[in-house]
Amino acid sequence: MNVAVCVKHAVDEGELRFDPAGRPLIEGAAGKMGAFDKNAVEAALRVRSEVGGEVVGVTVGGADARKSLKEALAMGADRGVHVLDEPHLLNPSRTSALLAASLREAGQFDLVLCAEGSSDTYSGLVPPMVAERLGYAYVGYARKLGVTASEVRAERSLEESIESVASPLPAVISVVSEANEPRYPTLIQIMQASKKPVAEVRAQDLLSAGGTHSVTIGSMFAHSTDRKRIFLEGTTDEAAAKLVDALRKEGVISV
Amino acid sequence: MTGDVWSFSENAAVASEVALAAEGLAPAVQGGPVVVEVGRARDGVRGGGERLVLQGCPQDGPAEALAECISRAAKSLGPAIILVGATREGREVAARLAVKLDVGCLPEASRISSDGKTVSAERSVYAGRVSATLTSPLPCVVTVRPGSFAKSTGATGTVRNYDAGTPEVRVRRLGSSRRETGSVDLKSAKVIVSAGRGVKRKEDLPMLEGLASEMKGALGCSRPLSSDLGWLSEEHHIGLTGVVVKPDLYLAVGISGQLQHIAGMKDSKVVAAVNTDRDAPIFQASDYGIVGDLYQVVPALRKALSARH
Repeated sequence: MNVAVCVKHAVDEGELRFDPAGRPLIEGAAGKMGAFDKNAVEAALRVRSEVGGEVVGVTVGGADARKSLKEALAMGADRGVHVLDEPHLLNPSRTSALLAASLREAGQFDLVLCAEGSSDTYSGLVPPMVAERLGYAYVGYARKLGVTASEVRAERSLEESIESVASPLPAVISVVSEANEPRYPTLIQIMQASKKPVAEVRAQDLLSAGGTHSVTIGSMFAHSTDRKRIFLEGTTDEAAAKLVDALRKEGVISV
Repeated sequence: MTGDVWSFSENAAVASEVALAAEGLAPAVQGGPVVVEVGRARDGVRGGGERLVLQGCPQDGPAEALAECISRAAKSLGPAIILVGATREGREVAARLAVKLDVGCLPEASRISSDGKTVSAERSVYAGRVSATLTSPLPCVVTVRPGSFAKSTGATGTVRNYDAGTPEVRVRRLGSSRRETGSVDLKSAKVIVSAGRGVKRKEDLPMLEGLASEMKGALGCSRPLSSDLGWLSEEHHIGLTGVVVKPDLYLAVGISGQLQHIAGMKDSKVVAAVNTDRDAPIFQASDYGIVGDLYQVVPALRKALSARH
């Protein structure tokens, strides 16, 4: 079975810095593989170990994105595809078009695995857009997967229900983070990852036909985290009484 | 361009919110708000303006079919903007719709405006640390973050039926089980007591439920308790990938304050936290903090609450 897994080199939101005016310094911000993407890689590797085949990691992003692709290779993906594009465009139409085009070039896939969303922007649009563009079936928010040669069965984690579905192949599947516990690569695997083949493609070569609809990023500013940050000290009883008192004064509790 | 503003959600409560967003946006594109319904107009959905009822499409989806039917109607009726509730199903509907119609898509909007040529949407990115305004040309699909708009109280105008045909569906539903639900409605709760990994055993949750009910509030939790441990159902899960809440009081108990959690509660009016670790990030996002063991602090809080007057 040919399995592709899409990973994103996401902004490490914990490391994000701001200029004095409160604007985030996105250029040069530290990046990391999207937290949920690891679950997608893990799911892909488990499919391979059950039914055999190849796992191809695919990423769209700047030169830095190679790090996340290498992490997928270290976890166990067989080869990688890196679509070089300007990073952090916040445009799922573009990302999905590039992923779909590169997947078409990279081989015939039975299964394309993605995370439910990226940990930095979490729009949840790229996986179903890729499915729509490739004309594949789509199963979103899977927490359990079972794959046979012709079909995938999944349990979908929806807000109010758990839904069991069967989908023909090829299919795009997005997995939720409770789907599995991602493995940690060993030092040897990390070193071996650099020897695995990575094909590099330029975005403009994939989207020569006009590209996709533009998204312009207007203002960006830090969410005000204007909190009082008052520690209530004293014995447990004293601190608890002070808190209840403070909350009553704020008028946020009616008891 | 001019045109109507369509709103859609398969979830009736969210549909009324998205309808209100459409009502606000319609004058800017010199159109009217249109609530899109599938099969029949649902009683629980409020929204002013026209009701466009798509015939032929299976009423409960799946998203694949909903997107195809809505796109067929949109191709012939030409709305300027289509707003879709950003639920798990809704995101698939919106994503497919944007590709089928070959238009732009702005995700997770909490505020939306238009100058008649473009649409701008404010959203939260980088795990809630940054607010961004994104702009895309019309026509455009926008997903609307649930809880960002109040519910419309508008009365239905004309009902218009549109035969969208019955599209082919590839993914078969084998079964569905409702998540075990209390009567949890965190979005409307004024007070939320939220439990995290500091809670050692599932059997200790009633202690926090007790505190929540004494504060006339509801119980929520951080991701590990619902998604990993399964102690509480997913509808209790507050955070980036769960419910986003903005109560008057958010009391975080035994929650360290990962950014993904903060993203779900940062707009609360007042935040208080109890944690054993003075350096836990939750205290940076709190107005009031008590450094201490929740197994002592929670009983003390319950005592302090009852010791009034």
